[in-house]
Amino acid sequence: MKRWLYNPVLASSLKTRMRGWRTAAAVTAYLGVMLFIAYIFFKISFENEIMHSLSVSANHSVGLRVYMLLAVLQFVLVLLVTPAQTAGVISSEREMQTLDLLLCTKMSPLSIIIGKLLSSLAFILLLVISSIPLFSLVFLFGGIAPEDVAMLFLFYIITAFAVGSIGVFYSALFKRTVVSTVVSYVTIFFLGIVSVVLGVYMMAVHYSQVPRPNDYYVPFILYINPAVGLSDLLSRQAGVTATGVSVGIWGLIFGVSSGLGVQQGWFQKLPLWVGNCAVMSVIAALLICASAWIIRPYKRLRRKS
Amino acid sequence: MLVIRDLVKKYGNFIAVDHLNMEVERGQIFGFIGPNGAGKTTTMRIIATLLAPTSGQVLVDGIDVFKDPIKARGKIGYMPDFFGVYDNLKVMEYLDFYGSAYGIEYRQRRKIAQDLLELVDLSDKRDAYVDTLSRGMKQRLCLARCLMHNPDLLILDEPASGMDPRARAEIKGILKELKRMGKTILISSHILPEIAEICDSVGIIDRGKLVIQGSVEHIMQRMTGRTAVRIKVLRDVDRAVSLLKEQPMVTSVIEEDQELEVICRGSDEDLWQLLRILVNNDVPVISFRKMEGNLEQIFMEVTSDEEVAL
Ligand SMILES: Nc1ncnc2c1ncn2[C@@H]1O[C@H](COP(=O)(O)OP(=O)(O)OP(=O)(O)O)[C@@H](O)[C@H]1O
Ligand SMILES: [Mg+2]
Repeated sequence: MKRWLYNPVLASSLKTRMRGWRTAAAVTAYLGVMLFIAYIFFKISFENEIMHSLSVSANHSVGLRVYMLLAVLQFVLVLLVTPAQTAGVISSEREMQTLDLLLCTKMSPLSIIIGKLLSSLAFILLLVISSIPLFSLVFLFGGIAPEDVAMLFLFYIITAFAVGSIGVFYSALFKRTVVSTVVSYVTIFFLGIVSVVLGVYMMAVHYSQVPRPNDYYVPFILYINPAVGLSDLLSRQAGVTATGVSVGIWGLIFGVSSGLGVQQGWFQKLPLWVGNCAVMSVIAALLICASAWIIRPYKRLRRKS
Repeated sequence: MLVIRDLVKKYGNFIAVDHLNMEVERGQIFGFIGPNGAGKTTTMRIIATLLAPTSGQVLVDGIDVFKDPIKARGKIGYMPDFFGVYDNLKVMEYLDFYGSAYGIEYRQRRKIAQDLLELVDLSDKRDAYVDTLSRGMKQRLCLARCLMHNPDLLILDEPASGMDPRARAEIKGILKELKRMGKTILISSHILPEIAEICDSVGIIDRGKLVIQGSVEHIMQRMTGRTAVRIKVLRDVDRAVSLLKEQPMVTSVIEEDQELEVICRGSDEDLWQLLRILVNNDVPVISFRKMEGNLEQIFMEVTSDEEVAL
């Protein structure tokens, strides 16, 4: 088990990347900026609240809004930084002429890809995880429960994996890092835009044909878009958590997966963000396997003697 | 140790390796010689499990590399013709990384890496960043790298290219040491004399085909079946040339001022016949000198299109 978990590529890169002051400086700078933004936002909000209504319960909503702001900012950071970190992992090995050396070791192409993905995600995951205390500050104001933060961070990690696997896939596919980076950003950008445009169009068509108010229809295409997932997650947290029952979402997941699984359209009964995470995980897994297939020396199936 | 059977590699319609058959015995240094584009790198990449052959078989210590690449990799140390190094690793970490990629335990790795650095004379560089090493040092480090998992067979693709004579001599010394340790080594080059000295046998490859294979002496003998003669005449060069070209044992005649370079088949007896014909026909021969064969000239002859060279 331990041997299986040990990935030489990951181990080596963690050792060397955490060396020196750069990573520490990046984390510090990131937290500083986020803290500063939160502070400014708090200040402005409180001044407004005090001027308009003197209610103390306003604390809740201010806390919630800061949480949302930080959540969205961090999401954008994940989307922006991950492609740059991952889109060169294989192509740069090719450019450096080190890929062959790696491929002729006993590491399998799949473990090379996974090691490369994990080590290139290490930086962004470090940024994200180091911001947990910052998000926890919001607890002071109420309105957000620890499990909300946990779910949000789970969502970040899955998003980073999905976006990262797109980068890794292109870096395996294209010879040059520049091409792979550009194509990664373009892909993510278009997936975001196209899925929303198409999704909204499909919803419009659906509701114009079947005018039923109780019908909850989300086109599948929206499930590939983490921005949709995030907005679903955050709006659920804003709505549900005020009464302190965000655990209810988990109940729903369990209820659906154990009891209602056979029912038609079970997938759509999942909370949108959970479905989104599932779809992203599947995409990530497929892209990782595809990347491993691309770099493996023997493309064809093994021949018989 | 290494057996190649009917190996074919095609890139589209282009045949890079054409029904290659060869065999390298355990403990030998085998020189794989051919001009640019002959198919040396292609063959070596196939042996190193980095490239699938179109057809044919490669056995390393009885293991079919195509059927069981993971097992074969444990027996093969491959040094490519061009390779890079990671810019953020130190020498010791570099070896440690590849050691771990070959599944060697941490404690063992450090010990092996230290021994290998000793072998390639880089012990004093163990804490230097890999990308600060000179080219020759990188080459030696890469050699140490492919020895980390103690392979039986080393595939070295032009390990001495772009190095100065001293660095080459160092590599040769290391290779001799490795041979003493019982390693089998396949080493490629396009300059035969450079490695002839350390090779037990050589194979000459041209346009994907193995032209000749055998011990250096064997090739010398077969090649010296063809002899080069330099003939100087006082006058009547043209008549001499046409006369020579009529002879069945003469394969080519090159004219240089008053001097002719003649390549012919046959024994010394035949050479005497040749001289007699010239003299009997009143060609004013003033010098008739048999050239001693030289590996590079042989190689040129073996690999060139027309039989003009020498
Ligand atoms: N990926 C490829 N696609 C198409 N043709 C290739 C490819 N790789 C090699 N070739 C061709 O195969 C032939 C053999 O190439 P190879 O690199 O094996 O030669 P070589 O003997 O190593 O030459 P050199 O001394 O220059 O290193 C060349 O003609 C080359 O153009
Ligand atoms: Mg080559």
